[in-house]
Amino acid sequence: MIEVENLKKYFSSGMLRKRYVKAVDDVSFHIEKGETLGLVGESGCGKTTIGKAILKLIKPTSGRVIFDGVDLLKLKKKKLRRLRPRMQMIFQDPDSSLDPRMKIGDSIAEPLKLQGDINKGEIKGKILELVETVGLNPEHVNRYPYQLSGGQNQRVVLARILALNPDFIIADEPTSSLDVSVQAQILNMMNDLKREIHLTLLFISHDLEVVRCMSDRIAVMYQGKIVEIGKTEDIFDYAKHPYTNTLISPTSIGDRVILDRDMKNASDYTLGCVFYQRCPFAVERCSKKEPEMIEIGKKHYVLCDRVT
Amino acid sequence: MSVLEIIDLKTWFQTQDGLVKAVNSVNLRIEKNERVGLVGETGCGKTVLSFSIIRLLQPTTMIEGKILYKSKDILKLSEREMQKIRGKEIAMILQNPTTALNPVLKVGDQIAEAIWLHQGLKKKEAKEKAVEMLEAVKIPLAEKRANEYPHQFSGGMKERALIAIGLACCTSLIIADEPTRGLDVTTKAQIIKLMKDMTKQRSMLFITHDLEVAAEICDNIAMMYAGELVEYAKTDDVFKNPLHPYTQGIFNSLPNRGLKPIKGMSPSLIDLPSGCRFYQRCDYAREICKNRHPEMVEMENGHFVRCLLYD
Repeated sequence: MIEVENLKKYFSSGMLRKRYVKAVDDVSFHIEKGETLGLVGESGCGKTTIGKAILKLIKPTSGRVIFDGVDLLKLKKKKLRRLRPRMQMIFQDPDSSLDPRMKIGDSIAEPLKLQGDINKGEIKGKILELVETVGLNPEHVNRYPYQLSGGQNQRVVLARILALNPDFIIADEPTSSLDVSVQAQILNMMNDLKREIHLTLLFISHDLEVVRCMSDRIAVMYQGKIVEIGKTEDIFDYAKHPYTNTLISPTSIGDRVILDRDMKNASDYTLGCVFYQRCPFAVERCSKKEPEMIEIGKKHYVLCDRVT
Repeated sequence: MSVLEIIDLKTWFQTQDGLVKAVNSVNLRIEKNERVGLVGETGCGKTVLSFSIIRLLQPTTMIEGKILYKSKDILKLSEREMQKIRGKEIAMILQNPTTALNPVLKVGDQIAEAIWLHQGLKKKEAKEKAVEMLEAVKIPLAEKRANEYPHQFSGGMKERALIAIGLACCTSLIIADEPTRGLDVTTKAQIIKLMKDMTKQRSMLFITHDLEVAAEICDNIAMMYAGELVEYAKTDDVFKNPLHPYTQGIFNSLPNRGLKPIKGMSPSLIDLPSGCRFYQRCDYAREICKNRHPEMVEMENGHFVRCLLYD
């Protein structure tokens, strides 16, 4: 369904002495139809940038993104626009992704109107249908976003997206600002929808437990690179990359391996492994040679030289 | 002697929509060197309770009951007397590090301010102490960092700076309001370790919605729902044997414990149900729960619960 090949996004700063931040550095993966890929990593590791680059909301530096056989990055604006309804993104903060001056109903109607051929009566019916799908009450339609809670607003965002009948959704930390019980409601709903309408999903989060509930496969990201990718069970039971291990160490939070050394800016790296400075198993060669992705099991890849 | 004793505290606000009953008859005691976790969902009154203690609410707020700090009723103190306690004896570590720091002041100066206000040091000495505090909260290159502005700090570092401000004076009670919210796993683990180390000889009220974080830090946990405490026990007891259906529901909705949400939503604090506040969402609700408001009862030693199932 989605194939990402050698995707790069560098942000440059400075006029004369240009410096680059490698937000996404040579990332490749694919997502099959109906599959959910979880993308985990710390804040600032480039998760959101990947999401935006795939949808071409920001222009990648290089690489290819193939959606249903079409290379999105080579596509002209008009054609891309025609494809857009099929791929959608849910953003982190529900309160700021809705227009505060638009009633919920109008917000949901907007994508429907853009699709063209549809009359007012149909729109009204469709809105009510969508509102029900995402578990809101019809009376919410006439309210404004500030009158709803964060969880309810996230449902509205979801309704807006479902209005377009997308095939592919990128969910960028959709529950990070919500309480556990509300989070459980939203995640369950997304899981149901996935089954019902056969959605393909890229689920971005920093919470490994959440990703575990949602994904068929998981990609772990560190400093712009995917350091490990594999089936959910494999990542949890046979994680090989030292960074993945610090994330999932199953004991309580307090006993978790704590990464002491703070990371440097992504721009300071030139050679060697991205995780070198914080890695408890680093040896000298890690600082000199960039590791390569190796396959260590079925569909299970690791970016580390010391794994054999 | 307990450091803090809250007796029958009610905090209500008058708003355009009606009377918001944010805190209702809360009783809570914090002993010396004890760390109590206050756990509940957004909008259950946790933050209002903490603001009542440190008296940061609008003067129009209706506060009833007693808050005894070292046997002195804080609610009866004048604003001037309160200023001497606030920051010096009771410190608060606020939620949301991005907005809690002043964006146009250097981080070092913001920490130093608390020190020279309360400890009578000269400004230069206060600044040196501020750098020491930054070192204590493990910020690398503290001296250089003290001269930077909040926007140059990452989220985790800002949280550390806030902790440094809170702990800069030798406070005896710390109120920490969701210090780990919005941080990712590794940073969260660092902050938790830091909070644990830095509060060893102090009492703390630790507010969070994350039971697992509370378990790491707190000796006792108080569960709050719709403005009142519904369960209070030692951390181990809450985890091994949660009694209140709400506590059980929160556990079940954790991703690693089944992801089963509690049905419905918390009631509005303006229009609280007359019987049990959890009635509509409870799987064990009976007819009697609808009209009778349960009292807090002690089950076994030190395990309190507010539920008619145990009446």
